[in-house]
Amino acid sequence: MTAAEPFALAHCGPAIDFDQVGLVLGRTQILDDVSFRVASGSVHALVGPNGGGKSSLIKTLLGQMPHRGQLSLQWPGSPGVIGYVPQALEFDRGLPMTVDDFMAAMCQRRPAFLGLSRHYAGAIGEALERVGMQDKRKRRMGALSGGERQRVLLAQGLIPAPQLLILDEPMSALDEAGIQVFERLLQDWQQAGITVLWIEHDLEAVKRLADRVTGLNRRVLFDATPAEALTPDRLLTLFSTHPRAGGLA
Amino acid sequence: MDYEQFRLAIQGLASDGYLPVALAYGFVVNALIAGLLIGPVLGGLGTLVVVKRFAFFSEAVGHAALTGVAIGILLGEPYTGPYGSLFGYCLLFGIVLNYLRNRTGLAPDTLIGVFLSVSLALGASLLLTLAGKINVHILENVLFGSVLTVSAHDLVVLGVVATLVLALALPLYNRIILASFNPQLAAVRGVAVKTLDYLFVVLVTLVTVASVKVIGAILVGALLVIPAAAARLVSQSLKGFFFISVLIATLSTLLGILLPIVFDLPVPSGAAIILVAGICFALAALARALVPRLQGNPA
Repeated sequence: MTAAEPFALAHCGPAIDFDQVGLVLGRTQILDDVSFRVASGSVHALVGPNGGGKSSLIKTLLGQMPHRGQLSLQWPGSPGVIGYVPQALEFDRGLPMTVDDFMAAMCQRRPAFLGLSRHYAGAIGEALERVGMQDKRKRRMGALSGGERQRVLLAQGLIPAPQLLILDEPMSALDEAGIQVFERLLQDWQQAGITVLWIEHDLEAVKRLADRVTGLNRRVLFDATPAEALTPDRLLTLFSTHPRAGGLA
Repeated sequence: MDYEQFRLAIQGLASDGYLPVALAYGFVVNALIAGLLIGPVLGGLGTLVVVKRFAFFSEAVGHAALTGVAIGILLGEPYTGPYGSLFGYCLLFGIVLNYLRNRTGLAPDTLIGVFLSVSLALGASLLLTLAGKINVHILENVLFGSVLTVSAHDLVVLGVVATLVLALALPLYNRIILASFNPQLAAVRGVAVKTLDYLFVVLVTLVTVASVKVIGAILVGALLVIPAAAARLVSQSLKGFFFISVLIATLSTLLGILLPIVFDLPVPSGAAIILVAGICFALAALARALVPRLQGNPA
């Protein structure tokens, strides 16, 4: 579990196969016959309306949901590290916890109140540098803006260096500078061959940055390159069907 | 026994005038050592209680101790230390509560409210039924704590519990925090979120029960909450939060034990401890109101 791999392997990330994945919660069908493949080392965007099952699919992938169908990760070698960047954190804004404290609590075993462990201090410093938060390490998490907090969440996803990254709307709170930071990270991951599964609302960004895009609204509506998929027609279908009512037709 | 010699040595030093006179009494030395064990553990664990918003839960477990004592007396355990029933009942209380919390869909405070009142009703019924059989001062000791009755046996129980809690809580400190922030992220990072929840409940219960002798069933939960709450008001980092909480809890425990003895006040130790902690909290709130830097960092 080294902090940063000194060399970047081509396509070190896994491929992901969703095969007829279905999920029912209560009496609601959340996912229905979802099948698509995330290629190793690709940036794969997941788009669709709210309630369309994107977050549930991620939960299923992370083993947090009982589901039907097959879901497999094909690692090129031995199973590697999965990184996850959640949309938000639930915490008391008044909690006396600095950015450094937060990173320590996320990454290391040594109790965060004893400060950064020597083993992780370098990696944490580097990760915060990459997201442009190195000047705000002593700020309280609760005093940060939404965009700054999002950057810190991105930074924790970098430690330990992941081979598969799952991002849940990482751009939603980012400001202009934050978006640039994110795009740079995405390029780095692409070059390093890391597989990125990326839930995103901003279709413009998906068109610009993703290798492939899957439209999800309870079932897979399309799965293609952004240039093919994100045509006005397709988008109208994606966002005009109600996720719940859609299945009854 | 080594501890006996140590205590006698302290008592000797005190009667010779090298240490405060109060320490010439064996029970004072016992109580202070109990305080030195309880204070830091309650203060440290309290930071997690505040982060996880478990304050009401720890209050409830403390109150459950009352019922545990009643059951112990009923079963014929010595009423100076019915540890079997205390630990047994409180652990059951905490674990069942946590089990139902994940399943009923009720808000935690609603569920705790139900458990707390039913448990208190059971405890009160049992204790008052037994009241004929026991000295009524026992009740007072159970409710508000007493330093007079802390024995070497109690110190052993405290020492074992304190060591166990520290040995488990310190390596898991970050993970407990992480699991409360985002269970899914915690799971990705290899934290067994549900198991950890149960473990935390068990740790809080153990340390609460072990402290009942000194602080009493009614107030023991407060020492998990007040020092951490006060520390949260005046600290800007986890380091400050943790160590100020430990400091306030330890100071409150020691002063709460010593002050009534030194000034010859008929105040139970538990009440005195919580009053000192309460004063610390008031001072912290005042400091926060007066010093703008404590309200957050604008820079």
